Amino acid sequence: MRARAEVRGPVGRQKVNIDRVFHALGDPTRRAIVERLSERPLSVSLLAKPLAITLAAVVQHLQILELSGLVHTEKIGRVRTCQIEAAGFSVAEKWISERRAIWERRFDRLGDLLAEEDEK
Amino acid sequence: MDLTNNIGRNETMEERSVTHGTFVIERSYPTTPERVFAAFADPGKKRRWFAGGEGSEMEEFEMDFRVGGSERTMRRMGPQTPFPGVALTNASYYQDIVPNQRVVFAYTMSLGERRISASLATIEFVRTEKGTNLIFTDQGAYFEAGDGPKMREGGWGKLLEGLAKELARP
Repeated sequence: MRARAEVRGPVGRQKVNIDRVFHALGDPTRRAIVERLSERPLSVSLLAKPLAITLAAVVQHLQILELSGLVHTEKIGRVRTCQIEAAGFSVAEKWISERRAIWERRFDRLGDLLAEEDEK
Repeated sequence: MDLTNNIGRNETMEERSVTHGTFVIERSYPTTPERVFAAFADPGKKRRWFAGGEGSEMEEFEMDFRVGGSERTMRRMGPQTPFPGVALTNASYYQDIVPNQRVVFAYTMSLGERRISASLATIEFVRTEKGTNLIFTDQGAYFEAGDGPKMREGGWGKLLEGLAKELARP
């Protein structure tokens, strides 16, 4: 099965690659990071605290999330603050990936139906 | 427009906006294009794969498979969905049909009374040595706040749950 998707937001906004978003969210630690940041922005050290991994590992995860456009980090003074990047994963983009999933399930069922007919 | 800080500020989401998105799905089926095409042309067959499952009850299914003809499916969202009991309507209009080769249709999806998207869908059937390659291209316009306020209340938790499920698919 192959599927590719590209989403173009309102003019001027960055392109969002859904495959990259999915890859970024394929990891449970990164999902935990996004979940916590969805409540409020946090510094890297606060973010790392409840996670049972090193600060360096958190930074690596953050880099992947930043590349996918899901998270934005900014150094203010000596503290790096992380927050959700809404543009990277807007409601519309969520709908588009969901639409693709609906059609994929339909084509799965079509395959099942065709296979059933063959058996008869 | 800065959209980077709008989480938790719903007013931004209420603006009228359109987001365009295109996706392509390719599948191979080990059977002839004639058989695959028939699953689109025959209402009895189409009903079985097109509108089943999805955790919802299908209440209406009508199709008129000819250029200029229309198709309408209405489902009630099930209890496990973000909008239990709400009608999800799919209305299609056939634009082009080339038997065993191509089907093109325009479709809208509505949640309750609200249209959430309008798309142009192209299905191509390509004969191969092993059977048929189906290429589905969906070019869509997705309208503002198509999720309604409830999805936002559910927030990121639900969003991530859905994604986790999606990622768990083979």
